[in-house]
Parts: sequence; structure tokens; C-alpha cells
Amino acid sequence: MSESGAQLFARLEARRCLKDIEPRLFPEDGGPDHGEVVELYGTEGTGKTELLYHLLCRCVLPNAAGGLEVDVVFVDTDYSLDMLRLVSILENRLNAAVSTSSSSAGSDEATLRSCLSRLLVVHCSSSSQLLLTLHFLETSFSSRPSLALLLIDSISAFYWLDRCEGGASLAKQEEKLGKCSELLGRLLRDYRITVFATCHAIRRSYSGPSSSSSSDSDRPYLCRPWQRLVTHRLLCARQEAANNMAAAAGSGKEQRRRQLFTVHCTSFSSSSSSSSSSSRTKSYRSSSFCVTDGGVEFI
Amino acid sequence: MVVLREGMCPGLDEDLVRGLRAADIKTVEDLVSSDIEELAQKCSVSYKALFAIRRVLLAQHTAFPVSGADLYEELLSSTAIVSTGNPSLDKLLDSGLYTGEITELSGGPGSGKSQVCFGVAVHISYQLKQSVIYIDTTGGLTASRLLEMLQAETTNTEEQMEALQRIHIFRLFDVFSLLDCLHGLCSGGLQQASVGGGSVKAVIVDSVSAVISTLLGGKQNEGMSLMIQVAGVLKTMAKDFNVAALVTNHVTRGGSGEVQPGLGVSWSHIPRTRVLLERVEKAVAVSRPGLRSATLIKSSRQPCHIKEEFDLQWWSRSKGGPSLGKRKLDETDS
Repeated sequence: MSESGAQLFARLEARRCLKDIEPRLFPEDGGPDHGEVVELYGTEGTGKTELLYHLLCRCVLPNAAGGLEVDVVFVDTDYSLDMLRLVSILENRLNAAVSTSSSSAGSDEATLRSCLSRLLVVHCSSSSQLLLTLHFLETSFSSRPSLALLLIDSISAFYWLDRCEGGASLAKQEEKLGKCSELLGRLLRDYRITVFATCHAIRRSYSGPSSSSSSDSDRPYLCRPWQRLVTHRLLCARQEAANNMAAAAGSGKEQRRRQLFTVHCTSFSSSSSSSSSSSRTKSYRSSSFCVTDGGVEFI
Repeated sequence: MVVLREGMCPGLDEDLVRGLRAADIKTVEDLVSSDIEELAQKCSVSYKALFAIRRVLLAQHTAFPVSGADLYEELLSSTAIVSTGNPSLDKLLDSGLYTGEITELSGGPGSGKSQVCFGVAVHISYQLKQSVIYIDTTGGLTASRLLEMLQAETTNTEEQMEALQRIHIFRLFDVFSLLDCLHGLCSGGLQQASVGGGSVKAVIVDSVSAVISTLLGGKQNEGMSLMIQVAGVLKTMAKDFNVAALVTNHVTRGGSGEVQPGLGVSWSHIPRTRVLLERVEKAVAVSRPGLRSATLIKSSRQPCHIKEEFDLQWWSRSKGGPSLGKRKLDETDS
């Protein structure tokens, strides 16, 4: 398909590299590069959506407030985007930036509006609509070279619907997500964007909280084309209350115990010679954070 | 999956549809994902015509991106917080039920989930003068109980009748009728219900686990798929029509023996806010049989695990008059 000169330029011009989006999450110099996919995996209440808001804010905030000033597309498949919470995090961070810097950069509302205008939100209600929407978004990517990040919350929302629709054949069950993954792969290669996606866990782990080996519940269950795309996997978990009781014992008056969340990052960097998964080298990093009014705060 | 049919868009006539089907292109998704040049050659149509058809079909079936600023403005003007009528519960829920979200109430038998739902329905229909849709799947709703609660609010029978009329009740006992009912509400039912009194502010499903938990388990996936479909329709309805969805759920015991809400891990991602209701041990000792404790187990606005104690009899307490302290209502737990 032929493209105009402007489209070619928009496609090839380097989009903002997001390697430094959150150095506390990823291994040393191992942040998500162009064309990489980060999967956030965890059960309910482990802070995945909060992490997404944190990364989103980091992207849309102006440079003065510690942001990257890039455009973001948020694909919302299960209506879990809480705009009010997002705006309260943005306002918190903007206020923190204004109080530390000496100059007052414009009115609060204007900066908030400019931050929010860098965000594009799409709601999808089925995996076919997700496929069509990704096709449609291709025009957005080619016309906006400042679009560097695609957030999908969550990629597993249609898992059970697809499995039932596919009937008895596993190939048919995974067909739609497979097509979406292939399309995503093409978009990643052609436009050099970065993708962050949350994936809900569908099995509860019955082993104790201190088990360090990867249990059944953490095994990826989505289709192979998607698993091949993922280059960084963030396993989110809630730290058990017993562990942070000692920390809370000191602050006697503090009624609420701050819930701690842990993130364990596994980064795959495939060697250039072959693409089989056995030759992918892995690197790890663990971090923990708690959630405050101003969003995620790392510890 | 949308099947290609003639007349879907200008230029898509019968011959073209037949030609595409011969080239193994049966649905809109197939057409959009395939190579237009190759397809134009195979079906002997002009590349431009096929490209135009692809563009129109894509625009018809895709979801449109909205700018964050516009979405925020819209939300500011349309989101409302619906009070539950009970100040302790409101404090737990950060001032009440938010429209556009699903709030889940879970608890064992007799923990008061249905009573809370009745109380919320009565509060919305009488105090806030808005309509409520109540979907009863357990058969636990009786109009006489609602009337009892209303009689504690006012002695004017006309007002009582008006408030009762604003509560629209659906009785269903299986998941397919539930899906039917919800789809019907989305496509006009909610507007119909708003004709008489105020607009519909809440949709209460009591209980969602009664119709779904019987389908889960075993090697089949249909149960999970139906559960996700119900969740999808509820969420779409809550968002598009600005209603607060309140659902109730049963409880099970987790791996380490602690009480947790039922319907499994896949359901746990669906509600935005989850509250666990429990009986209070000392309730009988202090002769307040309606005392319950509510724990917030999932919330995007408040820290988790905060507890509040509240009295189920709050919604039927006699207001004003000299009869303070006189309990004229027998508390029957549901």
C-alpha cells in the first residue's frame, strides 16, 4: 500500500523512547525500548491499574512536572478507567511540581487540560471490536508522531468469551486474540511504539505467600502469538499484612496500615541470532510500592 | 463478528459479496485484515472501490477514540454519587454509590445483603425521588417489606405509593432471562422506567451469584462466558445511562480458611468497589440484632480493609415523634 511522504516521515521518525519511563520497575538499563511489550499480570487488588495510571501520568505530564510529554492511547476493554482517580493523581503531581519550583507555570486548569488532551481513550466491548479498533488506530499512529505509548487494560477481558465462542477447537478459541497480537506486532514494527497491557489472573494460588517458585497461577495462559510479543513481564502481588505489621508497629497512632504491593519484573531480551524462546536471556528486578493519594510511591 | 451482507455500505452489492466469499472473506474483520490489492485482483474490482468500502465498514464498526479532556468534562457533568441512606455505609463507600460503576456487596446467609438493597432502593425512591430498577433472582423481595420501610419514613399514604411506583421490580431465576432483561433495559427499558418519576439512578441485582454460581465449575466454559457477558452488559449500562449498579454475591472460604466473596477470581476484577458484610459477635449481647460490620475489600478511592459497623434497622427506624426507642418492627433477616 502506498503512503504519502508525510505518512512515511511520521512512520520512520523516531518516537520518544520510553526506556526511562520508570527505572525503578525494570532491571538496570532494561526499560521498554521501541517495539517492546510489557505485560502486567496479577490477581485483583494488586495495583496493576494504579501502576498504569502512574505510567500514564509520567507520560502526559509536562517536562516541568517530571513528565515526558508524549501522547498516549488507552484501550479500555472492561470499563476500568477511573478518570476521576487519574485526574486526582495528575493534580497531585502538578501541585507538587508547582510547590517545589519557583515559577508558577500557567493556570492549573490549563495545564491539566493540556495533559488530558494528550490522552486518547477507546472503549472496546469484544475482541472483534478490539481488532477493528487497532486497525483504525493505525491511522492515528501515522498521523500523530508524538504517540509513543499504547496502554491496554486489559488484554484478557475477552478470554472467556472467546473460549466459549470457539467451541471445542483450541485454534478457534485463540483465533481472535491471535489476530490482535499479530496486528499489534506489525504496528510495533512499523511505528515503533511501546505497549503496556494488563492481564488478569484467572487462577488463585493456593500455595503460601512466601513461595518463591513460580506457581501455577502465574503461568501465562493467553495465546502463543501474544506470549511471543511480551518482552517484559511484571508480576504484581499484594504483600501479606504480616510482613508490614512490623513496619506499622512503630507508628502507633496511624490507624490505616499502608498496604504494600510488590512487583517482580522478568525481562526477556532475545538474542539476534535466533528467535526461539530458549535462547532468550532473562533479567530480574523486584520492587515494592504503596498507593497514596498522589498515586504510586515506590519504596 | 459481523458477517458481510449486501447493502451494508454503498458499493457492497451481491456480486461483490459473493466474490469475497469465494475468496474466503466472510466477515468485516476478515475484510479489514486482508491485503486490499491482492483482494481487488482476485475479485476483479477496482482497488479504489474496495479501499473505500473497507474504510466505510471500519468506521461503522470500530470504537472511536475520545480525547481525555472531553471524557473528563463529560464525566464531571454526568457522574453522581447516590447515597445509600446509611451514614456509616456512605462513609465506607466514600459518600455513596458512584454512577457508572459496579459496587458489590458480599456476605453469608443472613448477613443483611438484601436488607441493605431494600434500604438503598427505598432511600433513592423516597428521599432522592428517583427511580430504581430492582432485579430479584432469589425471591426475597416482598412489597410489604418495602412498604414497612416507607411507613417509617412518612405516614402519608400518597407519598408511600408514589415512592413504591418508582421502584421497578423484575423477577427472574436464570441467567438467560437476566441477560434478556438487562439487554431490554439498555435498549429502551431504562427510558420507559424514567417516564413516570425521576430518571433511573440505580440498578440493583440481588443476587447475581444465585444465577451464575450454578453454571460454574466442570470442564465447560459456557458458565464463565455467561458471567462475563452479564458483567459486560451491566458495565455498559452503568456507563452509558449513568446509573449505579449494585450487585450482591455469596461468600466462600479461601485456601487459608478466610471468608472471601464467591464467583471466583475472574469475577473479582469486575466490580470497582467490594464490601463484605458480616454479623457482629456482640450484637446479641447488646440487644441490637441488626448490627452488622462492613469491610471494604476493594476500592479505587479508599484504603482497603477499613471497617464500619452499622445497623440494618437504620432504614426502618421511626423518625421523629415521641416513639423514640420503641421498636415496632420485627427484624426478620433475609
